[in-house]
Amino acid sequence: MADTESAARARALPLPSAERQPWGAIIAFLLPAFTIYTALTAYPVFRTLWNSFHTVLPRKEEFIGLANYVTLAQDDIFWRSVKNTFIWACASPLAEVSIALLLALALYAKIPGMRFFRIAWFTPVLMSYVVVGIIWVWIYNYDWGAANAILRALGLEGWARAWIGDPKIALPSLIFITTWMWTGFNMVVLLAALHSLPSEVIEAAELDNCGWGAKLWHVIIPLIRPTLLNLLVLSFIGKMKIFDLVWITTKGGPLWSTETVSTYTYKRAFEWTTFDLGYPSTIAAVWFVIVLAAVLTLTWLFRQRDRLEY
Amino acid sequence: MISRAFLFIVVTVYTAFAAGPFLWVATMSLRTTSEISLDHYAWPEKLHWEKFPQAWFNSNYSVYFENSLIVVVSAVAILTMVGAMAAHCFARYRFRINRLLYFVIFSAIIFPPQITIIALFQTLVQYGLYNSLIGLTLVYIAVQLPLTVYILESFFARIPADLFDAARIDGYPEWHIFWKVSLPIALPAIATTVILNTILLWNEFLYAVVLITDEAKRTLPLGIQRFMGDQLEDVGMIATGLMIAIIPVVIIYIFFSEKLIQGMTAGAVK
Repeated sequence: MADTESAARARALPLPSAERQPWGAIIAFLLPAFTIYTALTAYPVFRTLWNSFHTVLPRKEEFIGLANYVTLAQDDIFWRSVKNTFIWACASPLAEVSIALLLALALYAKIPGMRFFRIAWFTPVLMSYVVVGIIWVWIYNYDWGAANAILRALGLEGWARAWIGDPKIALPSLIFITTWMWTGFNMVVLLAALHSLPSEVIEAAELDNCGWGAKLWHVIIPLIRPTLLNLLVLSFIGKMKIFDLVWITTKGGPLWSTETVSTYTYKRAFEWTTFDLGYPSTIAAVWFVIVLAAVLTLTWLFRQRDRLEY
Repeated sequence: MISRAFLFIVVTVYTAFAAGPFLWVATMSLRTTSEISLDHYAWPEKLHWEKFPQAWFNSNYSVYFENSLIVVVSAVAILTMVGAMAAHCFARYRFRINRLLYFVIFSAIIFPPQITIIALFQTLVQYGLYNSLIGLTLVYIAVQLPLTVYILESFFARIPADLFDAARIDGYPEWHIFWKVSLPIALPAIATTVILNTILLWNEFLYAVVLITDEAKRTLPLGIQRFMGDQLEDVGMIATGLMIAIIPVVIIYIFFSEKLIQGMTAGAVK
């Protein structure tokens, strides 16, 4: 698919007397971007990798080989944070996209005031995690938070609890927040995708009198597959990076139950008084490899299935 | 008819769920903390507008606001220019390593921030750019560059090539083709990236918390966190502080909602 796309693009490109490229102009156009990229993205990546083999104290750097990697392999908190981040990055996309798809289908038939609703659903995504985090700390407040207030009003007194204070449910509670934030975004995207489908296809399925579930599974999902997969990957990548929300609500607590790799790296680099930047760099390097591998595997898996089906 | 009613209920419940928390904060921002502690969910009886100037002046909100404004405006301005130049080049010129270079920049979209942030901290300290708005601005440009190039490139690539051939035959220098042909046509896409980057950077927290510790240099998200720490139990005051942070975003959103939704969804829809 990507091949045909790039081929189409290549054809669209102008051929300015193909033998003579305006190299001066090309370099001038790319220079600022690549200067910034080299200095503030590429160089830091290599420096972090270099750090990971050293002890990096404010005035002393010492080569220690793979010692940091050995320590990391036995660092229980790190693996705990990897597990938490992966739970988040796997649960969130599924929850967000499936709920969004069901809602989008329910709304596929046009409803009055669509524009207004679209705007309302999109709002949570635009707020910073700092603002959202503070609001949800209140919603989860044991005594007067909205979550417990609603449960009590429904007579489910026994279900009320300290949502982010209890190690057993703190992580699901935080995952719930990101789901609240991002479902609307996914829904708006899916609605756009549904509306861009030729309506004959869906009408034809209706005439054939196939059931709702079958229609969803055999007609609609295959048609919007690319959008669905993109949304899943996008949500996955976002959750692998998550920091702000955790930092504002729980700081990784209680008992590391919500520690993510981002918060742990930050703590080791800037909070704990070890002053060593080498070890957190090792965390970053290993995590970098894990994220790249995960994203590549995901895209590869999705490609593979595409090939099998068509 | 029943399905219509069911639909209406679903929509209403979901909308209340999505927007409710903000409405709640908005009501609290106009009530005093002692009123709030009597009943957290009452409608404000008397509107305490005076809490807004109080929150503004009692903390350093004006400083945070100004810092955020400086950083975001300069980062977005430079970002748009640098990104548009690169995107134009990737979309318009056919040279051997075009796709390779594009991929190099684009792939940075999936980098987890940790892989650069520790070394960025070290580097900025070395060059005296730690705790400086200039340093933060430069980092923000680098962080948003891949997404900006990605959105703009896909738009530039769809401009018909004939336009450029015509300009070239007329003897326009390459820079003029970019400045007078590409940019004006691409204005809608550029507006999208400008609004998108503005919101994302306005909300940015991780890089700011690592690279800024000086009270006078804090951006708004850091300021809110600080404000929350200071007020602690004063829920009413924090709610007012939150509203001050939310309002600019809401204003941008009211005017540019369509553009923004387009920008946010550009990456998701092919």
